[in-house]
Amino acid sequence: MYTLSGMPVTPYQILAPLVALLAISYAWNLVFRQKKTIWEALLWSVFWGFIAAIALFPDLMSYLTTVTGIKNRENAVFITFFGMLFFVVFYLVMRVEDLEQRQTRIVRKVALRDSDLNGENDPHS
Amino acid sequence: MNVVAVIPAFNEETRITDVIHSAFGYVSTVIVVDDASADATAVRAQEAGALVLQHMENSGAGAATMTGVEAARALHADAVVTLDADGQHDPHDIAAMLKPVEEGRADIVFANRFGQRNSIPLIRRLANAAGNLITFAATGRWVHDSQCGFKVFGPRAVRQLTIRMSGFEFCTEIVRESVQHRWRIAQVPTKVLYSPYTMAKGQSFAKGIETALKILLRSFLR
Repeated sequence: MYTLSGMPVTPYQILAPLVALLAISYAWNLVFRQKKTIWEALLWSVFWGFIAAIALFPDLMSYLTTVTGIKNRENAVFITFFGMLFFVVFYLVMRVEDLEQRQTRIVRKVALRDSDLNGENDPHS
Repeated sequence: MNVVAVIPAFNEETRITDVIHSAFGYVSTVIVVDDASADATAVRAQEAGALVLQHMENSGAGAATMTGVEAARALHADAVVTLDADGQHDPHDIAAMLKPVEEGRADIVFANRFGQRNSIPLIRRLANAAGNLITFAATGRWVHDSQCGFKVFGPRAVRQLTIRMSGFEFCTEIVRESVQHRWRIAQVPTKVLYSPYTMAKGQSFAKGIETALKILLRSFLR
């Protein structure tokens, strides 16, 4: 079995950094496509870098032990997935917001049409 | 220069007329976007000579502002001034706000209510400081008064601006747009007139927290 810092490497420790690498690559891809700012990509990189670092080096969490109660690798995995679950929930919240935005665009189009102005410059129309 | 004022308004029938009359001294057209008001805001605005657009559903200050910008584009505006409808901004500051755009020094001009001696309640100062910090965290750009609705957009910004956020968080999104499109910015000290009326119309603490969370999450998940 492969080891990292004297501890056996689990599939999670391989998977998590790979997912993090994909997420970071995606973020910087969005920067190059001018859909994300460099600042946002940096925030994204720090977040996923943190996830990868915890997965690879669970001992990094030791200094947080007294605050969080995370004392072993199993707890670290649990907390990580808990965080990801929150992430998914917030992503869904954002999707709901996207639907609200669609509604707003309809409201806008009607307002512009009723005033005899068109919304031809709206990039979303 | 064809300068158009955009005023998003929600239940402002007592204030909108004065704001429009004052703005007409500095702009060629005033657009009022009535965000589904329950009172006679749209009627008063029309009587005052503004071009009125009406949202059939209340959609928020950001949505109303973007509707006004769309209308200004249709009118071939070179510059757009955005003002609050509650009368807290002094339209006489429009001339000073327009100057950096007219001189070609800036693509967007932010008003700075803290740049001169204004009587601003402590709670508002704290709320604005928090708004500035959150805006900086989300965009990486420090703006002295990021949450102020008084702004001037130059030709480039008028062409490129896209506001997706419907609520009060749109102010932070505009700062993000300035970073994304690398607009040149200017900040001009302006007067502000706080009254019990404008204080009552402002955001509550809970709404402020909700707005802050939305800003951070959206900038992260974008």
